[in-house]
Amino acid sequence: MSRVSVPCHVKGTVALQVGDVRTSHGRPGVLVIDVTFPNVAPFELQEITFKNYYTAFLSIRVRQHTSMHTPAKWVTCLRDYCLMPDPHSEEGAQEYVSLFKHQSPSMTFPKWLSHPVPCEQPVPLLEGLPDPSRVSSEVQQMWALTEMIRASHTSTRIGRFDVDGCYDLNLLSYT
Amino acid sequence: MLQEESDISLIIAQIVQKLKGSNLYAQLERQAWGSWEKRILKSLNSMCTELSIPLARKRPAGDQKELLNKWNEMGTDEPDLSLFRPVYAPKDFLEVLINLRNPNYENGDSLSFRTHLGLIQVPLKVKDIPELKECFAELGLNTGQLGIDDSTQVPPELFENEHVRIGQKVLAEQDSAAAQQYIRQGSPTALRAELWALILNISSQPEDILYYEQLKTNVIQHDLLVDSLIYKDVKLTASNDDYYFVFEDYLYQVLLCFSRDTSVLSHFAYNSASPPKSYIRGKLGLEEYAVFYPPNGVIPFHGFSMYVAPLCFLYHEPSKLYQIFREMYVRFFFRLHSISSHPSGIVSLCLLFETLLQTYLPQLFYHLREIGAQPLRISFKWMVRAFSGYLATDQLLLLWDRILGYNSLEILAVLAAAVFAFRAVNLMEVTSLAAAEAVLADLSTLKVMPLLQIFLFATVT
Repeated sequence: MSRVSVPCHVKGTVALQVGDVRTSHGRPGVLVIDVTFPNVAPFELQEITFKNYYTAFLSIRVRQHTSMHTPAKWVTCLRDYCLMPDPHSEEGAQEYVSLFKHQSPSMTFPKWLSHPVPCEQPVPLLEGLPDPSRVSSEVQQMWALTEMIRASHTSTRIGRFDVDGCYDLNLLSYT
Repeated sequence: MLQEESDISLIIAQIVQKLKGSNLYAQLERQAWGSWEKRILKSLNSMCTELSIPLARKRPAGDQKELLNKWNEMGTDEPDLSLFRPVYAPKDFLEVLINLRNPNYENGDSLSFRTHLGLIQVPLKVKDIPELKECFAELGLNTGQLGIDDSTQVPPELFENEHVRIGQKVLAEQDSAAAQQYIRQGSPTALRAELWALILNISSQPEDILYYEQLKTNVIQHDLLVDSLIYKDVKLTASNDDYYFVFEDYLYQVLLCFSRDTSVLSHFAYNSASPPKSYIRGKLGLEEYAVFYPPNGVIPFHGFSMYVAPLCFLYHEPSKLYQIFREMYVRFFFRLHSISSHPSGIVSLCLLFETLLQTYLPQLFYHLREIGAQPLRISFKWMVRAFSGYLATDQLLLLWDRILGYNSLEILAVLAAAVFAFRAVNLMEVTSLAAAEAVLADLSTLKVMPLLQIFLFATVT
């Protein structure tokens, strides 16, 4: 199945603060980013990809219209997904992240149309130990992949560092 | 089916990300590392221009013949190396690490108790003693160790004989994973060479010997400026060392070939550094004439030859010695002189050392800071060299056993902290950096395993 990226409009971040007054000392820990999909036909969202920059936890909420007569509803599809195991250290701080459809309750995201969702249920993210037979079949498939890569890799055993026998160099290049 | 495919691709993506060392491309490292690499390039270039020596040239036929004849005794050569200087020393590198800053770190205007009192200012996650105890469980008080339980007072029936027997069995089965587990308790001297080769997956096949001979031919044919740096380093360090001077010739044979080995370039896939580039003379800017310099992309620094020296006790056949060193370098040693956030990288080791000291020996840490003797300034050189040249060789080999067994360099930081803990009483009495250095100048009498065991498992925390 080919993947096509969906054009979207990402608005600037808005800090969530208590009260009206913007205090200069307070540094809010929660920021909200609005993403809209203007002028797009109904689509099935498979994957969200982004690069993190020091965000520790991520929640994703989607607004879905149900039928014509009921107002739009906000549904949480990801709650407090951990991007940084320790918010005070570097791990995960600048990683590339991909989130897949199957990590949220099964739903499609047609443009403002809906599938009725019985009630808002946050996804159990920390699943505990994975199913061993599933892990073993995944590991087997990964092993098969690495074997394929290894077989196709042309190992040039003795690499040449010169060009046509010549390795006369004056200075190192800075670029 | 689709579900499984996307599961696997996510897992693979995550693994690839971790293998890349997720933060290798982090902005701060790129900036710090970029300017450091540029300094090294400039230093090498200015050496070329000052001495009017090219980076590399084809060796004249007469010189080639001469070098081939004295290949086994290059140490007898006394070239004039006075004008060459090492490209950098560990202390220069430490200055770069001290200036690393996290772009997103905010600790307020005023000094709080969370301010880093040590030299390293990057908040990387490091283990504390409970986590280290779990990680290095086999070093515990209830487990037999070589380096402790094989001392003359202990009857060999209690531990040593059985341990040797198990080692022989592991070797007979040629089980690499078992060897790695086994060696956490230390390796018997007689089995060490084979065990290390098994763990590093080194077996001397005819093609490996041929490969080494090809590298030797490359050394004969092309003369590199880096060769003079290697000569100088060996003369300054290993040749002056009581334990290693006998291996001087081996060191040239390994290091000169190492510089020509293009297979080492593949480790840059997981190293944040990049190999220096150059162009064939007269073809500046033409990509088809772009080459790496030196061919293996690694510019040696002051003390580099000490990575090889201890291995000479174990391996006497040059091509095997070479293979072992190369594998040790691309698995472990490169992390000691490049910037990354990897737990075994030198930045994490420095932070681990400082955090251990600050947490478990706060009085000592504070005292040393007050007298202007930041502990890392003393221990940095130990860790960069993986203690080679500072410990007695039998102790060093016991330490490197554990590096292989745990596949981690964190033990270097723990040992550095343990050494400070051991000499804490003397250190509390000194009043200057020079005096602190003097207390810690001679580590040759230290017994590594008891120090580690006491620090991790027997200190009241």
